[in-house]
Amino acid sequence: MTFLSKAAGIAAVSLSLLGAPVLAEGFPDRPMEFVAGYGPGGGHDTMLRTMARLMEQEGIVDVPINVVNKEGGSSAVAMGYLNARKGSPYYLMSITSSHIATPLTSNIGLNYADFTPIARLGIDPELLVVNTSKGYESLEDLKAEGRMLNVGGTATGSIEHIVTMQLAEKAGMELNFIPFQGDGEVVTALLSNQIDFAITNPGPVGDYLSNDTFKALAISTDERIETLPDVPTFTEQGVDITISLFRGLTAAPDITDEERDALIDMVTKLFATEAWQKEYIEPNAVVPLVVTGQEFTDYLANTEEVYHETLDDLGMLGN
Amino acid sequence: MDALSNLMMGFGDILTPYNIAIIFAAGLIGTVVGALPGLGPSAGIALMLPLTFGMPEASGLCLLTGVYMGTMYGGRITSILINAPGDAPAIITALEGYPMMQQGRGAMALGISAFSSFIGGLFGLLVLIFAAPVIASYAIFLGPPEYFLLMATGLATVMLLAGDQIAKAFLVTCLGVLVSTFGSDYVSGQIRFAFMPELIEGIDFVAIIIGLYGLGEVFYNLEKRVKLNLGKPGFRMKEFIPGKAELGEAAAPTLRGSVLGTLIGIVPGAGATVATFLDYALEKRLSKKPETFGTGNIAGLAGPEATNNAAVPGSLIPLITLGIPGSGGTAIMLGALIMFGLRPGPLLMTTSGDIVWAMIAGLVLANLFLLASNVLLIPVFVNLLRAVQGNLANVVIALCVVGAFSLAYSPFNIWIMLIFGVLGYLMKKNDYPTGPFILAVVLAPLAENYFRQSIMLGQGSAGIFLDRPISLTILIVMVLIVVLSILSQIRKKRRMRRAAVDGE
Repeated sequence: MTFLSKAAGIAAVSLSLLGAPVLAEGFPDRPMEFVAGYGPGGGHDTMLRTMARLMEQEGIVDVPINVVNKEGGSSAVAMGYLNARKGSPYYLMSITSSHIATPLTSNIGLNYADFTPIARLGIDPELLVVNTSKGYESLEDLKAEGRMLNVGGTATGSIEHIVTMQLAEKAGMELNFIPFQGDGEVVTALLSNQIDFAITNPGPVGDYLSNDTFKALAISTDERIETLPDVPTFTEQGVDITISLFRGLTAAPDITDEERDALIDMVTKLFATEAWQKEYIEPNAVVPLVVTGQEFTDYLANTEEVYHETLDDLGMLGN
Repeated sequence: MDALSNLMMGFGDILTPYNIAIIFAAGLIGTVVGALPGLGPSAGIALMLPLTFGMPEASGLCLLTGVYMGTMYGGRITSILINAPGDAPAIITALEGYPMMQQGRGAMALGISAFSSFIGGLFGLLVLIFAAPVIASYAIFLGPPEYFLLMATGLATVMLLAGDQIAKAFLVTCLGVLVSTFGSDYVSGQIRFAFMPELIEGIDFVAIIIGLYGLGEVFYNLEKRVKLNLGKPGFRMKEFIPGKAELGEAAAPTLRGSVLGTLIGIVPGAGATVATFLDYALEKRLSKKPETFGTGNIAGLAGPEATNNAAVPGSLIPLITLGIPGSGGTAIMLGALIMFGLRPGPLLMTTSGDIVWAMIAGLVLANLFLLASNVLLIPVFVNLLRAVQGNLANVVIALCVVGAFSLAYSPFNIWIMLIFGVLGYLMKKNDYPTGPFILAVVLAPLAENYFRQSIMLGQGSAGIFLDRPISLTILIVMVLIVVLSILSQIRKKRRMRRAAVDGE
């Protein structure tokens, strides 16, 4: 370490005592690490790599950012990794519903509240999608079938499963949920009419909706979304379902409020750039509903409540 | 010929010095990555992903698919030379290739398998070029019932791998099924036997393969003080370029393997692996000398090797026509396509056809490069092995440890590998077959999940297997095979009895 950088370091420390805005300017002063709980090429990995690239490109940070993959245990391994970095603000981990579900289904001794939630960058709404060849036009048409319908989605206990259970209960339908491995298998099953409808995110079915192979009959957001203006919400059709997959970021436990605010500031700057909209939000069909800090923590608490209830009904809670 | 003119345009795009250099490098990198135990197509593609960021889309995709193809060529090298398959589709290669190595015909095994790989890859590519949309439109009608029957057929090949040790094979199959149940199960949502967080996603079967074959072999050889028969150092062509006799023996199995691999490679999950096992079983059935299988049979080497390379273009068919990944490798490619700003899905060919065709042209070129480089590199590999022979055990252990570590970048899989290394040693020492074990580990969870999905689709009734035309056809074929083989057994016994009577 040269004398100059040492001096700069001391200066940064003394300045940081003056308050958050100053810290935000001096932070980060050493390389940062973005932690993906899943392997290279997956949703978490590509999101963090795009973030890292754009943050450097847009001049939001001027230190190198490394993306590391701590895969395993449905994000449990990454949670353990981040938990071991208590008090260090140089780590950001991407989180999604598994951050809530894994601690509930298995006994890993950590949950969302142990970490420092930073921001939700958006949500992946759930769509109810049918094959156009069946001629269903609305939720009512499905109800009118009057038989047990086969519903495709990913994994038991997933958000698709929760939507299906809520739909059965609130719309009084008889539904038979079939868990598939991954969106690809769900799409195939719907293409060949092996299932009556699918609950899925917009991403995997986007093209099929635009070429009229599939039709979306309902969406799980509070209001209709810009990219799919013709798809009515569940609520509009008298069924109160508003639950979506979230994508967010969390930091290590026990960092100071100033450090947390600096991280929030950093990611909000990124989310406001055009490049982020163009290179992440649009191609991944994410609805950019950003919430940060305490508001995000509250959102996570609500989400956990819904999961707890459903997983309890399914007998899937860990001890 | 629409496809042909499109392909020519694709070639027009990629025949630049920059792209040719990329494809060549991709093939070499893929070969090396595939040769390292534990690093298979998924790891290779993932490792290369960051490098493609600054590249034009077509070059980036050529790099990724070239690496994918290269790993399939590379997987056979360590299978044959040190009995440590790099990935599941290369297991069968070790069954026939390693015995050839022990007999001093390792270079020839590498040569034959390089040619089979080339033909398999070429056949798969031709199908991809001319028939992808047609095949994809039929493939969507396959669902859990058909997949289950396919996996069940795959599991049935256990009996063929067992040879004359039916009881032992059955025992290790059960053990394999047990090992495969670890971890979370997406059909019921339950988590089984997860004593620690790393086990929530189950035991990585690649760690099992590396331990069972790579380490197990080292332990066994150390005890027996086995010395490999490497022959005299030499670079003579006729040692590794197959002659008329070898090619004649390998030709028909290679063609059969190519067809099987392309078709079954489309099946998501374990397409390539199941295809190699089924092809091996098929070759053993058709062979006039089935007793030579397991001792370095050329048909048993060439067929499955063509199969696993044909499966690469096969698994790309659902990806580029429907946007549905058919394997771990193609799942990562799906992520890459999105990062390049392409939208994988049914409209990909219409919206970005030029890039896709350039990628396909790149694959054709990569396949040619790979044949040339893999044949020319054989003396290098063999002599490299000769150079390290004195320390072979150390080298293999080091490769295995690195491979296991790289699976999740954590030491956890090293322990898993060690446990299965000891198991592999004990199995080999006591003459238990390892093939049925690993087959059960790979296929049992798939068979289980597809079966339960089928029954759920049938809303509780198993009638679904009979209602669907394709699954009914597969069922009838299975019944026919069983009945015919029982009949032939009876006839054989009767003939033997008659012969015995005549002899008296």
